[in-house]
Amino acid sequence: MDFDNSKPIYLQIVDFFYENILARKWKEDERIPSVREIAVMVEVNPNTAIRAFNHLQDEKVIYNKRGIGYFVSENGYQTVLDIKRKEFMEEILPDVVKKMRLLDIKFEEFKNTYDQNINNIDDEKK
Amino acid sequence: MMHQFNYRRIYHFIRRDLTIRKSSISTALMVVSAILFVFFLINLREDYRISVGEFTNVFGLFYIPLGVLLTFSICKESHDPKANHLYFVLPVSVYERMAAIWFSTTILYTIVFSILSFLVGQFAILTGGILFGTDFHLLPIFSGEYLGFAMFYCIIQPVFLVGALAFKKNRIGKTLLVFVLVFFGVIIYNLILFTMLNFRYDVLPGSALASEAFGLAQSDFSVFGMLFFVGLLGPVMLFVAYCKMVEKEV
Amino acid sequence: MIKIQNLKFYYPKSKTILNDVSLNFDSGNIYGLFGRNGEGKSTLMKIMTGLLFPKSGSCQVFGENVSRKHIRCLQEVFFIPEDFELAALKISKYEEVNSVFYPQFSKEQFYELIKEFHLSPDENIATLSFGQKKKVLIAFGIATNTKLLLMDEPTNGLDIPSKSQFRKIIARVADQGKCIVIATHQVRDLHSLINHLMILDQSKIVFDESLFEVSEHLWFGKPTEKDKHAIIYDEPSLGGKAVLPKLDKDETDVDLELLFNAVLNESDRINQVLKKRYHDASI
Repeated sequence: MDFDNSKPIYLQIVDFFYENILARKWKEDERIPSVREIAVMVEVNPNTAIRAFNHLQDEKVIYNKRGIGYFVSENGYQTVLDIKRKEFMEEILPDVVKKMRLLDIKFEEFKNTYDQNINNIDDEKK
Repeated sequence: MMHQFNYRRIYHFIRRDLTIRKSSISTALMVVSAILFVFFLINLREDYRISVGEFTNVFGLFYIPLGVLLTFSICKESHDPKANHLYFVLPVSVYERMAAIWFSTTILYTIVFSILSFLVGQFAILTGGILFGTDFHLLPIFSGEYLGFAMFYCIIQPVFLVGALAFKKNRIGKTLLVFVLVFFGVIIYNLILFTMLNFRYDVLPGSALASEAFGLAQSDFSVFGMLFFVGLLGPVMLFVAYCKMVEKEV
Repeated sequence: MIKIQNLKFYYPKSKTILNDVSLNFDSGNIYGLFGRNGEGKSTLMKIMTGLLFPKSGSCQVFGENVSRKHIRCLQEVFFIPEDFELAALKISKYEEVNSVFYPQFSKEQFYELIKEFHLSPDENIATLSFGQKKKVLIAFGIATNTKLLLMDEPTNGLDIPSKSQFRKIIARVADQGKCIVIATHQVRDLHSLINHLMILDQSKIVFDESLFEVSEHLWFGKPTEKDKHAIIYDEPSLGGKAVLPKLDKDETDVDLELLFNAVLNESDRINQVLKKRYHDASI
């Protein structure tokens, strides 16, 4: 895993979880890798991995079955979706708007590119 | 204390020491065996037998120098800046290290070398039987002279052990030098003691007497020196070697 | 686990290498010991393993004076020096004659690691490159399962894939009962593993903090215009990187390289920010 220098590593691990859940790689009530496995996979100190797991538990994305391991929560997908949507709306979009203003990009122009991209994605899916 | 001295660990340490030197030890033994064989054959040519004296002389000629070399070789690891870190962090106490080194360089070495000389000697006798019709006879290994050599080696070996641990470079040369100096030191000490004790008898002024005193001191050495030699030198030197090992840093 | 108090050390006829160093190492952590070349990282490690003796002060490992080379102490310590030579034996023979000294040694683990490093037990160590020898020693050190594992520049001599392998292995073996100390100046190789940083400079410890505390109190990144007055240390690289007091900003990843340089230049101010929490607590 390549680390982005701005975010703490444990939050980057959390993002890695979110991606897997959003991509439906890890489904609800399915067992996910252990703390140790994650630590080895992303080559970090196990303490950092524990911090990521605790954060995910606090966000109710995963839960712990004592002695068995960690599982994606019943409505884990929805929770992650909400979290990421909120993040997008509150953090990413304002930045984009700010940049559009700076570069004087009109909404119409933006919409065209947006539609084009949506089409591309749909084509890929087919 | 019991935790610091464990026979199994000593055994393992000896095994480790010998395993990592296996190739050089076996090469040395092979070379020496060949030379011993030649020496024995030469002896056989003269009178068709190897006498007690002949055997022990040939044996002693190689036994002591080779033992000294082995001692230096085994202690070498403690000086090698690339190997001594791993050598000293190995969980073996200083007592165990010393016991292992001492056992392998004296007892084990003496047994192995005696058996080897015996076998080479017997083989030489067999070969002599074929080459020039020597009668087969068993080598008389346990003679007084043989035991004398073994004793002498056991007593002086600790001196070389100290040298092997104390000096970093030219270890053999320096040890021999110190050894010779100590030897002369004892003689001169005896000489001074002798002249002082016999001062009243007017020994010193006479020119001939000085050499006589020297001679007497030497004969004194046989008693006093032997006592020092047999009783003290070995144990004291072993203790010094132990202290050297305790204070050894990388 | 290790308690060092007022340690002083110098080599014969040379300047003081370590002066009044006091440190504690506890289990469950991976310590990074940083410092410029020749600042005494290796010396400190050698003292911690009983290979050198302190001139004054003490170094206790598991409550024992480590210079005494107590068996119980040595059985729980393994040290991987930066430069070393291994006996010219087969890897399996090397394991056989050395592993018997470590009560917790796991042969299974050793041979698994050897395989993972693409080595074979039948290979003779004499024919291996330095990097491969290092792998043998790392595999051996890990398989001893000692509570304390000290490594001096462990990634020196390892190629890039092996460095990643090394990090995976360390992540796998690090646990609550184990204390790992890594001395290095290859900050990038190990920054995701270390969770406690110690920095030696001019024979003293100038920094000793867990990275959790660092990330709670310091902020790393590109400063905005209004942050300018608060900058503790900055580097004019592309875009500019700086260390600031975190205050109410979002947590950032600890940039070890930047922190290291910041400590070497502004150790007082950095430590002031970190120590401030005690004052905050007392108010």
